[in-house]
Amino acid sequence: MQAATALRGRKADSGQAAGTGRRLGHLLVIPTAAWTLAFFVIPLVLITVFSFGTENLVTFNVNFGWTVSNYASFGSDLYLTTLLRSLALSLGTTTACALLGFPLAFFISRQRPRTQRVLLACVIVPFWTSFLVRTYSWVNLLQTDGPADRLAFGITGHHLQILYSPASIAIGMTYSYLPLMVLPIYVALERISPDLYAAAADLGARPWRQFRRVVFPLALPGLIAGIIIVGVPAMGEYVIPEILGGGKTLMIGNIIVGQYLDVGDYPFGSALAVSLMVILMAMLFALRRVQPVVEAR
Amino acid sequence: MVGPGECSGNGEAGLPSRRQLLRRGAALALAVPSAALLEACGGSSPSTGAGSSPASLAGTAVMENYPDWMGAHVVQDFQKLHPGSVIKQVSNSSSSISGTVQQLKTGDFDFGLADVSATEQAVDIGLVQPLDWSKIPNIKYVAQSFRTAYPHGIPTDYGKIGIGYRPDLVGEKITSWHDVWRLAPKFSGKIVFIDLDRDCMGSTLKYLGYSGNSTVPSQLTACKNALIQIKPHLQAFLGVNYGQGLQDGSTVIAMDYDYDVALNQQKQPKIEWVFPSEGMVAYLEGWIAVKSSKVVPLIESFMNFALEPKQYADFVNTTGTAYVEPAATPFIGKSISGSTILRPGKAIANVEFEHYLGPATALWTQIWDEVKAA
Repeated sequence: MQAATALRGRKADSGQAAGTGRRLGHLLVIPTAAWTLAFFVIPLVLITVFSFGTENLVTFNVNFGWTVSNYASFGSDLYLTTLLRSLALSLGTTTACALLGFPLAFFISRQRPRTQRVLLACVIVPFWTSFLVRTYSWVNLLQTDGPADRLAFGITGHHLQILYSPASIAIGMTYSYLPLMVLPIYVALERISPDLYAAAADLGARPWRQFRRVVFPLALPGLIAGIIIVGVPAMGEYVIPEILGGGKTLMIGNIIVGQYLDVGDYPFGSALAVSLMVILMAMLFALRRVQPVVEAR
Repeated sequence: MVGPGECSGNGEAGLPSRRQLLRRGAALALAVPSAALLEACGGSSPSTGAGSSPASLAGTAVMENYPDWMGAHVVQDFQKLHPGSVIKQVSNSSSSISGTVQQLKTGDFDFGLADVSATEQAVDIGLVQPLDWSKIPNIKYVAQSFRTAYPHGIPTDYGKIGIGYRPDLVGEKITSWHDVWRLAPKFSGKIVFIDLDRDCMGSTLKYLGYSGNSTVPSQLTACKNALIQIKPHLQAFLGVNYGQGLQDGSTVIAMDYDYDVALNQQKQPKIEWVFPSEGMVAYLEGWIAVKSSKVVPLIESFMNFALEPKQYADFVNTTGTAYVEPAATPFIGKSISGSTILRPGKAIANVEFEHYLGPATALWTQIWDEVKAA
């Protein structure tokens, strides 16, 4: 009887300790939650509220009249064309990053651990230099009489003339975003047990079949994560198009920045930003619905 | 309009900050020899000059300013002259016209640097404190034309937008914006324009024979069409290093700022500057006091001090800007005061300063976006 009581007491103590631990665990969430609330949720709500207002561009006084006129303006040819251009460049960049990143990640994942660490460092090291410096360096590489131009002239006898074109923007964006694609794919590939390759081989699968039936399906979550990590910021990119596009290729990000910084029309800039966000969220949800279907195949 | 022989130098517009900082960098490079010359002349020593009295002016005046857009010794010398006075400079995060006005509206500043457009908008919404000119007698050193164009504060600097080109590569003399449009197909891919709506569209409006400050929709539409017409032949709309390609010939014609052409000409003497026969647009900026300020006498005293020819020369030699005070010429480096590009004489009579566009600002932005998107 006493033993049973003692056991119940110990269980109760243990339960209390677990409860206290859970409460402490919840407390640990507070800093992150506060940070997210202050610097993500509240600004997001403010931007949404602003997007339904109007602004006097002389006095900069905002009137929160709950109008949808800012969203109606988004339907004009100028903005829709620019949105489609941004979408095309984002898709192109994401595709190029996936095509280049997957083989690279696969190659790294098949090396010995020490070599993997060195190769991963090579992928990450460029990120230690300034984004602007890296982007401007492409101007020097692609400009007339630059290294790329000289090489092209030496081979074909024609100048490259690629700088300040959509192609140079695509090159710059692919270069900048490639590591963001490589890393999640590498993580997915690195988790694949070598035994699975051996088992597939024992069952008669040749390398291509092994890749198609074993490696790719298991790496798919990493690829999808990479697509999201690259595609979303690429859609709103405005610095690379400004520098490598020579100001001749307008992206939706450039328009949003212009509305905020040059015109000072916060409501319209907010409406554009919210619209872009909604479009991206719709695409992400669609991707989320497609993902299980693809993975099940 | 600016009278002949009143000004020279290189300058800068109050526009997006990163672009502006890089532009400033180019201007500073031009200013280095002049600063050395000024040091040799002993021009940076404190001077009281006309209108400056060593009376006590204790207090702190907060100035909204571009980074380093101040004479190297001006603030230090003023504070030494007036113990207890503090001039605190704060660089704004956005130096666009709307950004400048919104900064001044916060009430965090006592005075600030603003171009004509920002100043006129600030006046429209009652932000600007009228100055007591009897406290700023040194305004007499500033050329009357600039005082007329900048009546609400003290004008400090300006810059013109014209044409830089390589006659040896073009093979003929360029004298107008019409020449640029005419030659564009022949030199397709070797022409650059400035990536700034006020300067680029303003120059295009001059090409079309209109005011560089036009708000007439039909004229702005014509401007858009002219830019869309020439765009396929443009190498780029550039936000920095506009005329750098002129050095190696990868660019043969550039819509460019006077100071940038002067800088590039030092490295490539074959580059020439053109005052287009149709005229030019230019920006003009200066300092204005904010109405909510509690230290207006301190601001007026500092403005007066900064206009003393030696102090003003310190500002010009430090920043490399075009200058508005002919009396400062003896103290300004020869690379600025002696440049034929920067010292235009009678040709500057064709200059039209950029003004506040009012509600048409949004229309300009939309048309500029349409040009960029085309």
